[in-house]
Amino acid sequence: MSQSFAVGIGGAAGQGVATPGDIFAKIFSRRGLHLNAYNAYQSIIRGGHTFLTVRTGPQKISNTGDHLDLLIPLNQDTMDRHLRLLTAGGACLYNADLIQPGAPAAGVQLCPMPVSNMADITRNKVGQNTLAIGAALSMMGVGFPALESVLVEQFRKKEQAVIDENVSLARAGYDYATQNFKPFAWALPMTEARYAVLSGNAAMAMGGAAAGVKFYSAYPMSPATGVLHWMAAHARKAEIMVRQVEDEIGVVTMAIGAAHAGVRAMCATSGGGFALMSEGMGLSAQAEIPIVVIDCQRAGPSTGVPTKTEQGDLWQMLGAGFGDYPKVIAAPLDIADCFKLIPEIFNITDRFQCPGIVLCDLLLSEGRLSVDPKELDFAPVIDRGEMITSNGSGDHEPYKRYKITESGVSPRAIPGLPGYTHVVSSDEHDEDGVLISDEYTNAGKRRAMMEKRMRKVDGIAASVPPPELYGPANADVTLIGWGSTYGVIEEACELLREAGISANYLIVRWLVPLHGDAIVDMLRDARHTIIVENNFSGQFARYLRSETSFVPDGNIRKYDGEPFAPHHIVEAVKEQLAGKTKLSVPVHEIMV
Amino acid sequence: MSTTPVTPQPPQPKTNRIGLQILDYRGGKTTLCAGCGHNAISERITEAFYEMGVQPERVMKMSGIGCSSKSPAYFMSRSFSFNSVHGRMPSVATGALLANKTMRSIGISGDGDTASIGMGQFVHLMRRNLPMIYIIEDNGVYGLTKGQFSATADIGSKLKSGVINDLPAIDTCALAIQMGATFVGRSFSGDKKQLSAMLKAAIAHKGTVMLDVISPCVTFNDHEGSTKSYKFMQGHEEPVAEVGFVSNFEDIAVEYDHDTTVDVQLHDGSHLRLRKLHEDYDPTDKARAMNLLMEAHANEEVLTGVFYVNTQKPDFTEMLNMVDEPLATLSPERVRPSREVLAEIMAEHG
Repeated sequence: MSQSFAVGIGGAAGQGVATPGDIFAKIFSRRGLHLNAYNAYQSIIRGGHTFLTVRTGPQKISNTGDHLDLLIPLNQDTMDRHLRLLTAGGACLYNADLIQPGAPAAGVQLCPMPVSNMADITRNKVGQNTLAIGAALSMMGVGFPALESVLVEQFRKKEQAVIDENVSLARAGYDYATQNFKPFAWALPMTEARYAVLSGNAAMAMGGAAAGVKFYSAYPMSPATGVLHWMAAHARKAEIMVRQVEDEIGVVTMAIGAAHAGVRAMCATSGGGFALMSEGMGLSAQAEIPIVVIDCQRAGPSTGVPTKTEQGDLWQMLGAGFGDYPKVIAAPLDIADCFKLIPEIFNITDRFQCPGIVLCDLLLSEGRLSVDPKELDFAPVIDRGEMITSNGSGDHEPYKRYKITESGVSPRAIPGLPGYTHVVSSDEHDEDGVLISDEYTNAGKRRAMMEKRMRKVDGIAASVPPPELYGPANADVTLIGWGSTYGVIEEACELLREAGISANYLIVRWLVPLHGDAIVDMLRDARHTIIVENNFSGQFARYLRSETSFVPDGNIRKYDGEPFAPHHIVEAVKEQLAGKTKLSVPVHEIMV
Repeated sequence: MSTTPVTPQPPQPKTNRIGLQILDYRGGKTTLCAGCGHNAISERITEAFYEMGVQPERVMKMSGIGCSSKSPAYFMSRSFSFNSVHGRMPSVATGALLANKTMRSIGISGDGDTASIGMGQFVHLMRRNLPMIYIIEDNGVYGLTKGQFSATADIGSKLKSGVINDLPAIDTCALAIQMGATFVGRSFSGDKKQLSAMLKAAIAHKGTVMLDVISPCVTFNDHEGSTKSYKFMQGHEEPVAEVGFVSNFEDIAVEYDHDTTVDVQLHDGSHLRLRKLHEDYDPTDKARAMNLLMEAHANEEVLTGVFYVNTQKPDFTEMLNMVDEPLATLSPERVRPSREVLAEIMAEHG
């Protein structure tokens, strides 16, 4: 297991948890370290409890892990809830004037800071945070200049006095820790690498820009709002038309209108907003106008738990809209993949003129990950499919927008091109777009159009690769997951191997079309299969069974709003291999 | 070019200023009921686009769902057409026009498509002042589902089955004015002269034109007790002004009485000439226009004519300060941000 170091900072909303988190993330990334961060919070503006975990190390960090090495509780509540996450060698830095320490595990260093003796922070309500950052970096073996430069940058929009005050507070904390606390046994290393730190939402927005998206529409909804924020902030620079629309019905139909006129159009929402978009999914499919919709899943149903993660929207996506129609659904595996997936799915939706869904979730949308900029291809291939962009010599057969072809794809022309006038309609239509719902019922025409559209499914399937099985062959256990659980399953498998259980894992990225036969082939010789997913009913397990008749030996499910930690999976695998249960529902030990 | 024809030529068909015949603006054969008001509106639209000399391939016809929304099939077959879903035409049109602001658009909706299922989208379209013509073919009933009241049916009006409408009508014109549309009027499918002038002025205007055209449903709402019937309209139509239109390619020097007529110069240089028939009429004053409509409700009058026109307010595409070239036709190398912009963006995430 590669080395890592996890910091946890917690307090009430409004106590300033975000800024220390940003500062730690910057310092880690500038030392050439990888990081993975996740913020647990609630849907309120002030109060409540916010807990940010930032885990760093020289190798890729696939999740925020099982334990903490450093805890900075900004209030008593955080001390009480999270102290137990510290393991031997860890430390807890706290304001001794306000917070009573709890009883830590053996080998954990309690580091009380006599804040009122260290500095006058009566007029700076987040002063204790800066003192703690300074102390923490001293204990991590980071030189003070690295912190000073990040502080100057962090407060660059403030007046000089604010910068000076924060630098001197950090210095006081730094010096106090140097004199009074034991440094961590593992000093933070430094590498030559330089990583970008991205949230999944920013990554998807940037992936859109790379894919040539020219139109983005949205209605604000957690946890998808970050995509809108990125788009709005970069609209002018990146020349993307960004519109906040009255509701998600308008969001998706506006994107369809823009795509109809010829641009690549994208929108993002969460489950509740997507429910309103179902109508638009059908329109996109019937009118054969490609769009990409991002669904950032949160815990449902209904308003559900707006700030908590879940993989509970799969069946909504599978069944979105009525009638049968071709579509593509893919779930990004990590934050770097949030970027990469967007150009890929646009190429497919453009080639097959159908809707595409990116099934993301809060864990990736709002989490942050270090990404090697070399992994981000800003000039991926743009394949717009069969598109007529000029009328050439002007001589051509009469244009039929919905021409019946072997592939099911009819060449598309955009409005304004003389000689290619056409009718686009949500009603069933003939090859030339004329409504057949107006005629006597023409069963033959209806059947031909239905088959034309559905022929695209084969083409789509041939364009997406089957999933891969990672890890050793003939493993004791094979874990199966989809989308965002990739990182935590990967680490759980490493931990299992360390515990003497060989484990491999299969992660599904392209959900529709599903390469069912390939999956069944890969699993045929597996000794013990377990499907891991973040929902109640085993939505993927049910889907896999419906497509392939495959039934796993067991399931691990979590639907408490929090993501899996590696030990949740490890312990569940152990109890299932011991024959204790076939369904494990790990308990999230800490209420956040 | 030869000036002396060798053989006598048959008489040339009449063409408009871009050399097209009226046939070039015709659509398919209507499948609506004989006598439906919507067919007359399709005729007026065909003539207006022909007379104004608009290139049909530069027009996107938009609609939702319903009898009215079928009607784009019955005019201008050489234009691009999009039959979207029920009540969603405003957003589809907004997306399409933002992606290609060089196209023109005319949207055809109905009273159900606009005032009930599409109300949310309708008011937001009016707020945007998107440069398009939005027509409500308003008959007060749902035709395709066999005659239920819509939200523009007047209180107290009667269905064929004898059911009395117990809710007040939504005045789509008053709403459009309040929300920010910049050319708002009501007409009657049977008033050929007024509707033609209003449609031509609509084509000359740049901004959202909202025209509520009372268009009787001969099958479900043309009986005694209906307030959207031909007979009722013939007896109750109260024009607030006589609508005249002088296009930018006609002789503008036509005399008019400055005391009784409001002259509005439209975006393309054409003129709208509104001869007042109502003493409180002032189409440039939003509050007075609203007042006029509110009083008409109290007096059970059906006012028609142009109620409000504002040629000063920037349309949506101007307001958004968009790049000159339409987004839809950017060359492949221009669809994504430049290297410099990307470097700047990546620097933010360092």
